[in-house]
Amino acid sequence: MAERSTPLFQPQPAERWIHDLLRRAQRRLDALDEAERVAVLEDALYQERQRLKREDPVPEEIEALDRLAHALLRDGQREQVDAALTLVARWGDEIHGRFSPRVYRIATRLLPKAITGMLSERPRSLYGLRHWDLNIERRLRVDGDLAFLQQLTREATLILAPTHVSNLDSPLLGLALYKAGLPPFVYGAGLNLFENPLVGWWLRRLGAYTVDRKKRAELYKDTLKDYSVLCLRNGLHSLFFPGGTRCRSGEIESNLKKGLLGTGLEAWQENLEQGVEQPEIYVVPCTLSYELVLEAPTLIDDHLAEVGRQRYIIEDDEFSSPRVVATFFKRLLDLDSPVVCRFGSPLDLVGNPIPRDPVERAEAAKRRRRYVTDRDGKVERDLQRDFRYTDRLTDALVQAYRRDSHIMITHLVARVAWTMLSERRQTDDPFRLVQVEAAGRFLERRALLLRLEKAMKAARQGAQKGRFHHNLPRTATEVLQIALTHFASFHKSRALADHGDDVVIEDPRLCLYYQNRLANLPLEV
Amino acid sequence: MRVGILGGGQWGQALARLVLAAGHEPWIAYHGEKPPHVLPSTSDPPAVTEACDLILVAVSGARLRESIRMARPHPGNRVVVAGRGIEPGTGVWLTEVVRQECDAVRVGALGGPAPVDEILNGGLCAGVIASPYDEVCKLAVEALHSTRYRVYASADLAGIQLTGATVPVLAALIGMARSLPGAGVGVHAMVLSRGLAETGRLATAIGAEESTLFGLAGVGDLIAVHARRGSPYFEAGVALAEQRPADGPWGIAEALLKLASEHRVELPLTETLLRVQRGGDPVAAIHELMSRQSAREHR
Repeated sequence: MAERSTPLFQPQPAERWIHDLLRRAQRRLDALDEAERVAVLEDALYQERQRLKREDPVPEEIEALDRLAHALLRDGQREQVDAALTLVARWGDEIHGRFSPRVYRIATRLLPKAITGMLSERPRSLYGLRHWDLNIERRLRVDGDLAFLQQLTREATLILAPTHVSNLDSPLLGLALYKAGLPPFVYGAGLNLFENPLVGWWLRRLGAYTVDRKKRAELYKDTLKDYSVLCLRNGLHSLFFPGGTRCRSGEIESNLKKGLLGTGLEAWQENLEQGVEQPEIYVVPCTLSYELVLEAPTLIDDHLAEVGRQRYIIEDDEFSSPRVVATFFKRLLDLDSPVVCRFGSPLDLVGNPIPRDPVERAEAAKRRRRYVTDRDGKVERDLQRDFRYTDRLTDALVQAYRRDSHIMITHLVARVAWTMLSERRQTDDPFRLVQVEAAGRFLERRALLLRLEKAMKAARQGAQKGRFHHNLPRTATEVLQIALTHFASFHKSRALADHGDDVVIEDPRLCLYYQNRLANLPLEV
Repeated sequence: MRVGILGGGQWGQALARLVLAAGHEPWIAYHGEKPPHVLPSTSDPPAVTEACDLILVAVSGARLRESIRMARPHPGNRVVVAGRGIEPGTGVWLTEVVRQECDAVRVGALGGPAPVDEILNGGLCAGVIASPYDEVCKLAVEALHSTRYRVYASADLAGIQLTGATVPVLAALIGMARSLPGAGVGVHAMVLSRGLAETGRLATAIGAEESTLFGLAGVGDLIAVHARRGSPYFEAGVALAEQRPADGPWGIAEALLKLASEHRVELPLTETLLRVQRGGDPVAAIHELMSRQSAREHR
């Protein structure tokens, strides 16, 4: 049934997509005045030549850039645009995904077992292998109004907008979509992941298109956005991480990128102009909550060093190196931890909720058109207005992330311990707190349990008021014990550790990382 | 262009006259008493929102929610609130009230001096329209700008709404301070400038531009509100000084205090006003204000 709710299972010939990309690029370049056009093309030439200095140059790429340089020096508009389109065609061929229904069907049979296997405790012996827990229900919990979302995939194009915590997010989301009875979504994956021919082959055939983080030219970013508009216009449900990159601090994201989300508005307006049968595009917020995050130590170090916070595209991360990827999977096998994936209530592109009732939904769709059309139904283009609409959408997503977030045991215990440390040192400056000497990080267990009990009560009350979700055990003692076991199970150093009558914040950076997840929630601890 | 106006009171009629002066066609949606027949009007607000793209809202902050519910603006409307910035009681910005009550999102606020009787008698004036949407500013300027009324545009929606809310409170404070025994221009000047200073601190805290305070919507409006006797806000302050009961901007002052406390900003003058309004002795309250420890003028 999921296969019928996306055109992804129909043939998507690369030639047609590249042709459409070229048409869009040409239209955009032709609409610029001479000074703007030259600036865009010079930027593309400069950025690409800089990139090629760092990489093994490909003769065709050098040739294409030389042609562009020549056109910029001596030729007119037509030749300049033609030279730029040669670059766009190369990029388009590289970006385009090659979804294969056959590979998808095979993968959906194999991957759930493989991923849950990865999330389960690795068997230590042949005997253990027989009892290896591959129960998908225990490893990945999928929450949300799934029947409603299934319905929406049949009458609109969806953008899934998840929080981004770990490199594990993409495969888990693929699994969560499958488990939720939803069709596959296309998504952009870093070109570095495709360097391994086997991984690249699978990714491409499972709906990934490539995003080269090393290409910094505006023309390339516009080509990527065009590709996203084309995906949505062709009815392909798409996945964007609005945070842009994994959140370094561990917090629930509050600064979202507007570039890719804005392509939804562009595609919707084009759908209305062309009078397509199902023009609506909806955004589904999604939160992923982990008890433990594999990359937590690196992420929090990066955050504390204030590196990588403002970058649009991260050039290199742990996944850039095959050795790191191998280590990642090896360590992943040691993790025994459930993940909660919650699909939130869908929104329109201006941030309004989508009614569940079909009659109300149809009425809302009719009214919604007036956001971008005049009273005669003609689409009025206004980039400044669209930017503000996308602001509203990102605000609504941030609210949804908070409302849909799931309080995990490790987060709550870390939050309570961090608050106690902060009160004792009379500062909430994280940079000072991570440097507190070991002797100052001991917390009396009894006091911690009392505080934890209070925090659990607040969490239950908040959840009752619909402010967030939780699945906490009954007693504070249980909660603390489970958290300590989790913290001891995976990372090299522990966020919190048992120490007789005390609990010690062993690695304050990790404690900060896990407590940060609750920092933006209305939860008094 | 046909311009819808919600509210048929004096302010709604003044806006309609300005729309006419700018060469456009006003259409007032009134509730209660019908405006003079020279101004086109109806008692069917949804008809106005349906027929006009631009809607000017000229009802008090306390009645805004109800008016929007009745008029049901749609996503095609650009809604400009010409009110006192903040909803008394809840402390919600008036443009936010509009967004909460309907699905129109392109909103703006009109600020600046509004001497209604002068405008109705053909007097000259100026105002400022603020919206995050350029097209809302453009449309509102087109609808109101004429040789009688100059309209400036601003992107500082928070600043325009904040000044809209603080001006009546400052006017009442000045009225109260001026009317105390022995008070003269000294206390007047002090309350005015320190009132602007405390508003400036709040403006910075909420991300508004402090310079908006010194424009038409801030100082301009304040001059219009307190420069002559008879202004209801100023007179409410006078009544407080004389310990007579009076209707005044007390709900707005409470909302401002709530906002300030959320942003950890002190508003000593506004607190003093409310203390007196709740039965405190005005002379003692001003004395207490004067006894505060000296501080740097600009923090």
